[in-house]
Amino acid sequence: MTKLKINGKQLTLKLDPETPLLWALRDHLKLHGTKYGCGIEQCGACTVHVNGRAVRSCGISVGAVADKAITTIEGLSPNSNHPVQQAWTEVDVPQCGYCQTGMIMASAALLERKARPTDKDIDRSVTNICRCGTYNQVRKAIHLASQIKEGV
Amino acid sequence: MRILQLNRRDFLKSSAFAGGGLFLGLSGFAKLAEAEAGKALPPYLHIAQDGGIHLGVPSSEMGQGTHTTLAMFLAEELEVEMSQIKHIETLHHPDFKNPIFAEWTNSAINIQVTGGSVSIRAWHLPFRQLGATARELLRSSASRKWNVPVVECMAVNGRIEHSGSGRSLGYGDLVEIASLLTPIKNPKLKSPEHFRLLGKAIPRWDTPIKVNGTAVFGTDVDLPGMLYGTVKHCSVFGEKISGIDDSKAKEVQGVIAVLPLEDHAVVVANSTWAAMQGAKVLNLQTSGGYNDLSDENIIKQFRTDLAKEGVPVAHRGDPVTFMEQAAQVLELEYESPLQAHAAMEPLCATANVTPEGCEVWAPTQSNDFAMMIAMGITQLPPEKIKIHTTYLGGGFGRKVEYDFITAPLLASKMLGKPVKVTWTREEDTRHDFYRPPFLVKMRFGLDAEGMLQGLSAKLVGPAVSRRWKMPPPWLEKNGRDWMVTIGMFDGYNLPNRTPDLSKAYSIPNIQVDFVPSDIQVPTGAWRSIGTAHNTFALESGLDEVALAGGHDPFELRRNLLSHNSRALAVLDKAEELANWGKHPKGRFQGMAYTDYLETYQVQVVEASVSKRGKVTVHNIICVADCGQVFNSHIAKQQLEGGIIFGLTAALKGEINVQNGQVVQSNFDDYPMLKLKDIPEIKVHLIENHGPPGGLGEAGTSLIGPAVANAVFAATGKRLRRLPIKSKDLV
Repeated sequence: MTKLKINGKQLTLKLDPETPLLWALRDHLKLHGTKYGCGIEQCGACTVHVNGRAVRSCGISVGAVADKAITTIEGLSPNSNHPVQQAWTEVDVPQCGYCQTGMIMASAALLERKARPTDKDIDRSVTNICRCGTYNQVRKAIHLASQIKEGV
Repeated sequence: MRILQLNRRDFLKSSAFAGGGLFLGLSGFAKLAEAEAGKALPPYLHIAQDGGIHLGVPSSEMGQGTHTTLAMFLAEELEVEMSQIKHIETLHHPDFKNPIFAEWTNSAINIQVTGGSVSIRAWHLPFRQLGATARELLRSSASRKWNVPVVECMAVNGRIEHSGSGRSLGYGDLVEIASLLTPIKNPKLKSPEHFRLLGKAIPRWDTPIKVNGTAVFGTDVDLPGMLYGTVKHCSVFGEKISGIDDSKAKEVQGVIAVLPLEDHAVVVANSTWAAMQGAKVLNLQTSGGYNDLSDENIIKQFRTDLAKEGVPVAHRGDPVTFMEQAAQVLELEYESPLQAHAAMEPLCATANVTPEGCEVWAPTQSNDFAMMIAMGITQLPPEKIKIHTTYLGGGFGRKVEYDFITAPLLASKMLGKPVKVTWTREEDTRHDFYRPPFLVKMRFGLDAEGMLQGLSAKLVGPAVSRRWKMPPPWLEKNGRDWMVTIGMFDGYNLPNRTPDLSKAYSIPNIQVDFVPSDIQVPTGAWRSIGTAHNTFALESGLDEVALAGGHDPFELRRNLLSHNSRALAVLDKAEELANWGKHPKGRFQGMAYTDYLETYQVQVVEASVSKRGKVTVHNIICVADCGQVFNSHIAKQQLEGGIIFGLTAALKGEINVQNGQVVQSNFDDYPMLKLKDIPEIKVHLIENHGPPGGLGEAGTSLIGPAVANAVFAATGKRLRRLPIKSKDLV
């Protein structure tokens, strides 16, 4: 039995506590917005928030996050209207889209820590992989999201 | 093509678009009889009674924006906004055989497939015609309802308006009448000056669901009672399973079954994680295998085969005589290594096989291959099989293959439950159909003025199309394979066509030969196919020729393309936008040109090289004339994405083979460019109303030589093999 608090809901799952959070989210809770890309915390497609910080969910067990608040893309905003999602839509960032939810989660966590990130901050914090090559639009959208969030 | 209006009753039971309203499909004349007999095919345009539009399209959406652009063709003619389109899906449909592949192959390849950067070229007119047909039906319906002439009924923003009386009706209010009328043949298409959508930067239709995480990719398919699986291949190429020890795998909690197939096993469990844990401890006993296979042996084989005669690809003038009297001959060899596709979504597919029928959900570029493998495994007739195409988390040519659809089909058939099989990243990296390695040897002959007058080139590498069970028509008996010769004066010489070198560099004396040199590493289509190695060799070689002949690289190309006004315009614009020759101190420029996919394109790179040999690309200018542009936003994204794909192959990893197996396995040892590595990229499209060229693969192959040429300008070191390694520059 593992207790998890996901997107504001308290849940109890019959799961080996060693199960990576990623697979608990995807296969057991059917929260498919969090993607599997590499399984070794390299690509960031599985990024979620744990107590507000960006965490690659393939590399952390459900046991390790039992008493922490987990947010997935499904819980980021009530109507897909988080400033990062608004900016993503405005810039029309996604191509295939597979890595994008992880990119959005990493970017949202960055803006919580730093309201006006520099390009260097973005380089350091958003290290997710995109094979379609959306990177320049990702950067543009993060700056725009910062403005939206600050009400500029 | 003929547009059929299909009887609603026929579709209610079969269609994904159930409900009342207007249904239309495109079909050949032969299908008309079937439609009348009530055996018609599913429709792909449905206008519902609430005015909502549901659209089925032929092409798989893998990031190239094809769903959006095809919907734009329809919306343009139908006079609706994109927001009125409520649903777009890739439909597996007999009407959707790719007409460009059929044309290229004299109908020998007549399948539904997304590849070759041809979706827009193939489908822009049929989808405009479909929209226009529906529009005219709705106008006729209003004219009957109001008893006024059709000419007075105008389609405006999802409604028909009557100019005289000011009356208007939404499309939803007219579909019942429209469904009773016969469509007119050859409805008039809008002239480009009246386009509201086409040519503009229209946002992608699927962005909202990709921003909130609800888009369903292959990995996200979820069925009641579904089991989860993963695969484990024999690690050495050519090995077969001779026995398995699955005792440890079966001890893993949740593992249900281990099914050995020919060269891989499927582990099925109650979760993907359990299946992956089981696969980790599964012990495969194997026999056979090409244990001696290695990078060293492959290049050794190529060098030996370089002495062989080869099969002719292109010939012009008298290269033999010219080379003898040339003032200067440059003899150059360029090498390209294996590369993996590494789409962000690992290979995956889901199947549900029952005695009565079979359904497959796959992120496939080839719906007909999926059907073929499903028929083979289930022994069911095609009418009992349904292929669903999910969104693809990247394809890049890898998902044209059907190897990843076998395991879920067999597992579901044997276990009697739906099974979703997801490959690990490691399996995906180590069991790809890789970009083939190639050796390209070129001899350039210059005259006394330093002008290029002769080229003899020999390409050595695998004829990748030989792997196919049904040889495609572009593979000739002697091994000549268009997939790998393209980009080296092949003249788009698809079967039964005269090579067309009229747009190519006007080198008067040319001989190009290909020596097929097959290897035991599986190879396939990788974004940009043969141009990956050929454009690298040719555009780097021309940089060497320019230097040897005392010409500027732009000037040399202008000289060789003086007969090609579109190419000249692209060269001029790129030179201007890049400030060619006026780069900041410490930065150096390199350029390259292609006409691949009938898209004329120049890329200019500004780069610097540190003392330790680290290459930094600061900015990239891309100027392209791809004919008519239908969505400038997506067109630019495609070029930019293609550039980053090619830049990754030029600056980052490669796939190595040792002891018969791939060395790399995941993004830690096969790294990709990330945000911090990405230069500023400016894409400029030259306005043109000519026929559309291809874009999906166009940006990829010329960035490598452009970077290598900039590195030469910076260091004087000529890189004749990619990816660039810092140690070669210190």
